[in-house]
Amino acid sequence: MEEKRVVLETRGLSRYFGGLKAVDGIDLRIHEGDLHSIIGPNGAGKTTLFNLLCGVLSPTRGQILLHGQDITGLPPYRLAHLGVGRSFQITNIFPTLSVFENVRLAAQALGRDNFRLFTPVTRLPHYVEKAYAALAETELLELAHVPAQQLSHGDKRRLELAILLAQDLDIWLLDEPTAGLASELVPGFMALVDRMRKAGNKTVVLVEHNMNIVMSLSDRISVMHQGKLLAEGSPQEIARDEAVQAAYLGTMYMDAEQ
Amino acid sequence: MPQQTNTTTRASLWPGLLTMILFVLVPYSYAAFTGTPQPETSGLARVHSAAESIYCVKGISPVTSILLIELAVLLIVVLWAWLKQGEPGGKTAVFHQHGWYLFTLALLIAIPFIIAWQTNSSPCTRGKAFFWQSIYIDVFILAILALSYNLMFGFTGVVSFGHAAFFGTGAYAVGLFMKHLEWPWWLAILASLLLGILIALIKGFVGLRIKGLYFALFTLAFAEVFFLLAGNRIMVNITGAEDGFTFTVPDWLNMTKNRLFFYYLTLTFLTLAFITIYRLMHSPTGSVLSALRDNEERAQMIGYNTFHFKLLAIVLAGIMATMAGILRGLALKGASPNVLGLDFTMNPLLMSIVGGVATFSGPVIGAFMLRLTEQLLRDSIITIGTLSLNIGDHWTLILGIIFILSVMAFPHGIVGTWLSKNLHTRNGWITLFQRPKTNKDTFVQSSHPPSSTKHKETS
Amino acid sequence: MTTTFDSSPALRTGALRQSLLISALFVVGLLVINLLFFPVGTVAVVLLSGLYQGMLFFLVAAGMSIVFGLLDVLNLAQGSFFMLGAYAGFAIYGALPEGTPTTVRFVAALVGATLAGGLLGGVVEIALLRPLYVRPIFQIVLTLGLATAIEEIVREIYGPAGLIPIEPPAALDTTFGVFGAQFETYRLFIIVVGFLLMVSVSLLLQRTRLGIIIRAGVQDSEMVEALGINVRRVFTLVFVLGTAVAALGGMTAAPFLGAYPTMGTQFLLTAIIVIVIGGMSSYEGTAIASILVGLTRATAEQLSLQYFNTPILASVSALVFMVIVLLVRPTGLFGRE
Repeated sequence: MEEKRVVLETRGLSRYFGGLKAVDGIDLRIHEGDLHSIIGPNGAGKTTLFNLLCGVLSPTRGQILLHGQDITGLPPYRLAHLGVGRSFQITNIFPTLSVFENVRLAAQALGRDNFRLFTPVTRLPHYVEKAYAALAETELLELAHVPAQQLSHGDKRRLELAILLAQDLDIWLLDEPTAGLASELVPGFMALVDRMRKAGNKTVVLVEHNMNIVMSLSDRISVMHQGKLLAEGSPQEIARDEAVQAAYLGTMYMDAEQ
Repeated sequence: MPQQTNTTTRASLWPGLLTMILFVLVPYSYAAFTGTPQPETSGLARVHSAAESIYCVKGISPVTSILLIELAVLLIVVLWAWLKQGEPGGKTAVFHQHGWYLFTLALLIAIPFIIAWQTNSSPCTRGKAFFWQSIYIDVFILAILALSYNLMFGFTGVVSFGHAAFFGTGAYAVGLFMKHLEWPWWLAILASLLLGILIALIKGFVGLRIKGLYFALFTLAFAEVFFLLAGNRIMVNITGAEDGFTFTVPDWLNMTKNRLFFYYLTLTFLTLAFITIYRLMHSPTGSVLSALRDNEERAQMIGYNTFHFKLLAIVLAGIMATMAGILRGLALKGASPNVLGLDFTMNPLLMSIVGGVATFSGPVIGAFMLRLTEQLLRDSIITIGTLSLNIGDHWTLILGIIFILSVMAFPHGIVGTWLSKNLHTRNGWITLFQRPKTNKDTFVQSSHPPSSTKHKETS
Repeated sequence: MTTTFDSSPALRTGALRQSLLISALFVVGLLVINLLFFPVGTVAVVLLSGLYQGMLFFLVAAGMSIVFGLLDVLNLAQGSFFMLGAYAGFAIYGALPEGTPTTVRFVAALVGATLAGGLLGGVVEIALLRPLYVRPIFQIVLTLGLATAIEEIVREIYGPAGLIPIEPPAALDTTFGVFGAQFETYRLFIIVVGFLLMVSVSLLLQRTRLGIIIRAGVQDSEMVEALGINVRRVFTLVFVLGTAVAALGGMTAAPFLGAYPTMGTQFLLTAIIVIVIGGMSSYEGTAIASILVGLTRATAEQLSLQYFNTPILASVSALVFMVIVLLVRPTGLFGRE
C-alpha cells in the first residue's frame, strides 16, 4: 500500500479567473490503482481542477505530471492518447448516434484507423468487438442500436462508463458520475464502477457529493475548500479530521440535501 | 470474416455487370429500334463508331473513344464493387440495400433515350431531347454541389454560408486557365481543383480557429470578397467584370456539340461524388464526422483531434464543389459573377434541406425536385379570373416560400421524413439534426436487419 | 455560482479597457491615413460620411446583436427590415394627400415605418421563429430564406429598379461648409438620429428593469430562465424592437439612398461584419464597431475613388478588417471567450 507508484501529480496547480482563484496552488499525488476522491462544497474548485487535469483549461501556473512526464497544457485529445479519460457531470454523449456507435467511436479513437476514408467500419471488427465487450460489461447490450438520446438517464450514465471502458485507459476522471441518478440506483451504479476499476486496475479520480459513496469506496480523499487543498488522507483520517469537519463538512451535507 | 469478404466481392460484380449492360445495351437497342446508322463491321472502326453513336461524340480519335467507353464502364464497375465491399448479407444484399440506387442510376443512364423516344427526337442532334439533356446536366451539377454542401452541413455539422466560393472558383479558374494561360483542358481542370483545395485549406486553417457561427459568417464574407473581385471593373480584362467571360473548350468537351457525352460525364461525376460520400460516411473517418456534429467537446475528450477531421471534411467538400463549378464552367463555356453569389450558397442549402439533411440521397433528390420544378413551371401561366400569373417569373419568390415552408414543416426533408416514418423513430425530432436510425437511407431497410446486428452474433 | 467563469468584474473591465484602447488606436490610425492623403476639408467630409454610414450600420446591427446574445438566433433577415422601412416610407409619402407639408409627411413616414417594422418583426417572430425554438441552426437558415422571400416580394410590387430618394423636410435639404468642403445637412441628421438611438438603447439596457433582464439574459439565458423570467417573451420584445429600429434606419436612409430591393442584402452583409468585429453579442462592441467600420469604409472609398476611380475598396476594406480582427481576436473586439 505504501509503495504504490504515483501516476498523476500536480505541483502548485492554479487557475485564476480574473480575480477569482478557482484553483489555488494544489499539490496532488494520485497513486496507481487508487480510487482517489476529491470532495468539497460547491464552488470549492473541483470542476475547475478536473478541467485542468483533462486539458480543457490550461493552468495559470503550476504543473501536471503523468507518470513523471510533464503534460501541462496538452489538449484533451492528446491526453486521451496518454491514457487519461473523463466522464462529465452533465451527461455528455453523441445523442443521435446509436449506443453501439458511441462506444465503438471511443474504441476507435485510440487506434490507427481514424483516417481510413473508404473502409467500411464493419471491416474493422477489432473495434466492434471491443465495443460489444464494453456494452456487455455495462449491461447495455440490448440497447445497442437505440439512439443514445432515447436512453433513460441511468442508462446514459452507464453509457458514459462504457465509453471509458472501451478505451483501455489507465486513469479515469469521474466528475460526479451519479449526478441526477435516482438514489436507489446509486449503490448499484457505484458497485459497477468499483468492480470495473478493480478488474482493470484503473486509477480513478472521483468528484462526488454523496458522502456515503466517498467514504465507503475511496482509498484516499482530498478535501478542497475555496480553491485550496484543505486535507488529504484515508477515509478514516478525513472523517476524524477536525479541521475538515469544522470548516465545512456541515455545509456540504446541506448542499447535498438541497 | 475472410470468407464473408469473398462472397461480397463476388456478389458486388453483379451490379457492375448490370450497369455495363444498361450502359451499352440501351443506346444500342435505341439505335436498332429507331434505325440510326448501324456501327460498321470492323475492329477499331466499329468501336469508334459505337462511341460516336452512343455518346454522339464528334471530333474524337478512335483510340480516345475506346478509352472513354472502357473508362466509363470500368469506373462504374469498380466503384460499384467498392461501394458494395464489406456489406454483410451476400448476393441478395446488393439489391436489398442498394436496389434503389441501382435502379436510379440505370434510369439516369437510359433517360436521354427515353426522352428522345417520347418526344420523337434524336438524342444526338438539336431538338427536345437535346434540350432536356442540358437541363439534366444542370441538375447533376447542382446535385454534386448539394452533396458537397450536405457533407459539411449535414454530416459534419460545419455551417458554411460561403459554398459559392468553391463553386465559383471552379467555374472561373478552369476558364481563366484555358483562356489566358492557354493550358490544355486536363491541366486547367487539375489546377482548378488544386486551387479549390487551397481555398479549402485557407478556410480551414484560418476559419476553424473561430467557432460555430463565426465560421459561417467568415465564409460568407470570404465568398463575398471573391464575388466583389470577380465583378469589379478593375478586373475587366481578365474576368470581364459584371458580364463575365467566355472561353473555348476542345470539341469533344463542348456541350453544345457533344451534349450526350457531357451528360454521361456529369453523371459519372455525380455517381463518383455520391459513392465517395456513401463510403466515407460508413468509414471510421465518417463516423468521427458524425460524432463531431453531435458533440465536438466529447469527441475531443475521447481522443480525436477534431480540427483534422473538420479540415478533412472541408477539403473533401471543397474538392466536390470545385468540381461542380468546373463542370459548370465547361458546360457554359464561360463564367459570370453570379456563380460566386449568394444564390449558389442558398441553392445547395435549400436542396439539402428539401431533400433531407444528413441523408445520402436527400441532396440529390432535392436538386432534382427544385431544378426540374423550376423548369416545368418556367413557362406555365396560371389564370385566375382576369388575373394571369407567369409562374416562371416568380420562381425566386416561390423558392423562398418553399424554403421557409420546408424549414418549418419538413426540417428533415423528404428522405428524412420518409425514413423516420418508416422506422418509427419520431421521438428524436426535437434535436438539431435528427438522423435516421441507421445511416443507410435505402427504402427496404425494415425487411433487412441492420448490418451491425450481424456482428453481435459473430462476436 | 463561484465556479462559473469569465464574468468576473476585474477580468471584464480589463478586457474592456484593452478593447477600447485598440479601437481608439484604430481611429487615430485612420485619421493619420486621412490626413496624409487628403486635404483637411476632404478629411472632415470623410469622417462625417464615415459616421453617417456607421450609424446606418448600427441601426441594422443593434437588433441582430442583442437578439443573438439572448438566444443565439442570428437574424439574417434584419437587412430586409431595413429595406422594408425605406419602402414603407415611400408608401406613406404616397398615401398622404397632396398638399401635406413635407415635414408632416416625413415625420409620419418615420413613425409609420418604425411601427410597420416592429409589427412585421412581431409576426415573423411569433409565426416563424418561435416554432423553431428547438432548432437554432434552422432558425438562422429560415431567416436567410425569409430575406430572399422579402426581397422578391418587394421586387414583385415595386419592380427591380430602385425608387428615387424621397424629399426630406426643407430644413434638412441643405448643405453646410466644413473647412471649405460641403456636406449635406441631411447626413448630419442621420448621424444625430443614430447617435440618439445609440444612447437611448444604451440607457434602456443600463437603467431599466427590462434592460437588466436583457443583459442578464445575454450573459446566461438559462440562469435568467431559472429566476422565473420568461426569456422567450423578452426575446420577442427585443426582436420587435430590433426590427423596428432597423426599419427606422431604412426610412432615415430613404431620403438619401432611395429604396431598392438589394439594399437589404447590402446592409445585412456590412451589419454582419459589424457584429462579428464587435463580438457578436456585445452591445458596446456593436456600437463601436459600427463606427469603426463606417470610418474604414469611408476612408477606403475616398482612397479608391482617388486612385482607381471606383469605390471597390469600400466593401473589400470592411471584409479585410473583419478577417484581421478574427485572426487576432477570434471572438471579436469586445467578445467574451
